Amino acid sequence: MPCRMDHGSRLRWFAREVLPHEADVRRWLAVRLRGLDSCDLDEVVQEAYARLWSADLDRILNPRAYLFVTARHIVGEHLRRSRIVSIELMADLEELNIVDDEVNAHRRLSGQQEIARLHRIVKELPPKCRQAFQLKKFEELSQREIAARMGVAESTVEKHLAKALRFISDKMKSAEDEAEVPSVGTNRLWKRARR
Amino acid sequence: MVRIVSGSAQGVDELAAAWAVRSAERALTPQEQQQLDDWLSQSSRHVGAFVRAQAIWTDVDRVVALDDTTRADPVAPESASRWRRYAIAASLILAILVGGITYDRFVGRIATARAEVREIALDDGSRAVLNGGAVVQVRYDENSRQIVLRRGEALFDVAHDTSRPFVVTADDVTVRAVGTRFAVAVEGGDIEVTVAEGTVEVAKAGEPPRLIRANQQFVVAPTGPRRASLDEAEIGRRLAWERGLLVFSGQSLERAASEVSRYSPVPVVIDDPTLARAEFVGVFRIGDGRAFATAAAQAFNGAVVERDGGLHLMRRPSSPSH
Repeated sequence: MPCRMDHGSRLRWFAREVLPHEADVRRWLAVRLRGLDSCDLDEVVQEAYARLWSADLDRILNPRAYLFVTARHIVGEHLRRSRIVSIELMADLEELNIVDDEVNAHRRLSGQQEIARLHRIVKELPPKCRQAFQLKKFEELSQREIAARMGVAESTVEKHLAKALRFISDKMKSAEDEAEVPSVGTNRLWKRARR
Repeated sequence: MVRIVSGSAQGVDELAAAWAVRSAERALTPQEQQQLDDWLSQSSRHVGAFVRAQAIWTDVDRVVALDDTTRADPVAPESASRWRRYAIAASLILAILVGGITYDRFVGRIATARAEVREIALDDGSRAVLNGGAVVQVRYDENSRQIVLRRGEALFDVAHDTSRPFVVTADDVTVRAVGTRFAVAVEGGDIEVTVAEGTVEVAKAGEPPRLIRANQQFVVAPTGPRRASLDEAEIGRRLAWERGLLVFSGQSLERAASEVSRYSPVPVVIDDPTLARAEFVGVFRIGDGRAFATAAAQAFNGAVVERDGGLHLMRRPSSPSH
């Protein structure tokens, strides 16, 4: 891998620089690609993550724009591969070339909003799944300790945790939560200086 | 362990989540690693989904750490509490620049890697020194100075402040001090409190607090609490890691080797049982397994052989037997 960051740093980079923009990129694509059934949004996003993962992350100056552009490329490739492409769609794709306000207009959630969102999600988890998740992430227990505490097999704990992660990852796909909570003007504090 | 099956019934995200949870919990077995690699090589979509799942799982820790800090100052004026937080952050970040601690970017959680011992300057003038593999959370507010020891061992040099007690929590045990020097360690099911100076109050949930004085060690264990008096030299020896040193004064070579290996990237293995029982004296820099092995070999007329990723200490055939 050309990048100097280690695995953990790369994951934290993704968490910090890519995840917060995923919901926006999905919405942006969804609006412009209506009617493109064969092109699954999940597929585009997964492909985009894979491409970013193999990129030299240190050299990406604007991860948000990079994510948008990568997603656009993927859709473009997909359209070129499919035999029949409607004129309408091509026109829409042209639109994707424009780095519009939406690409630049990003507001990061404040720490409070992030916490509130996590708690909202946790509340929605099924009881056992929630308990396992809380013991793992809030109490920092090992799966073995959680299993002992809950009186279940370790493999059951693992299943609960995977389910919780799956649930959270689904929630990350939409930005509804962000829209519900008004921005309180603290964004500045959470933004990193551009390198 | 349960096999993670890549069947068509399971979606890509579901498998990605299963692998992300498992690989965050422990090192995968070679077979599991092979399975995962096979799955990842099937499609770049799988790679993307796995990266995404891992990033989300990791990021939960960051948000949780934020929450802990936030709970510490509930309705404090926004700006003041924020500045306080940033003041703490500034002092922590300084420590990072010096020491390269794994610092989760937001105030609160600090973790050290296996082979590092790091000193953290806290904004009240207190000082925390984390032993290798430790995780602490710092929660300061107007009325209290709280440290949560999640894992490992940490030593605290507490600045005197009667209005704001300094409280270290480890599991259900709290250690309270006003101004003193003490260490808390979480090891297995035990919580060990070692006091170098002054007096601390140790309380297990639901039990009356006990006063532990200088040169005493108190251990809360599943088998019941125990208290030991240690002389100053022994306390000094036990807390030598604070200075990045390991001190041995007549411990068995075997024990010394296991302590050295705790920090060293290359473990020191003693193959000869008579050598293992030999008493050893010496002072070493933490993480320097090689220096330890060489010194021990010299002391006992042995030899160091490097193989299987370890430093093996053995007796020379010609050496006089004990």
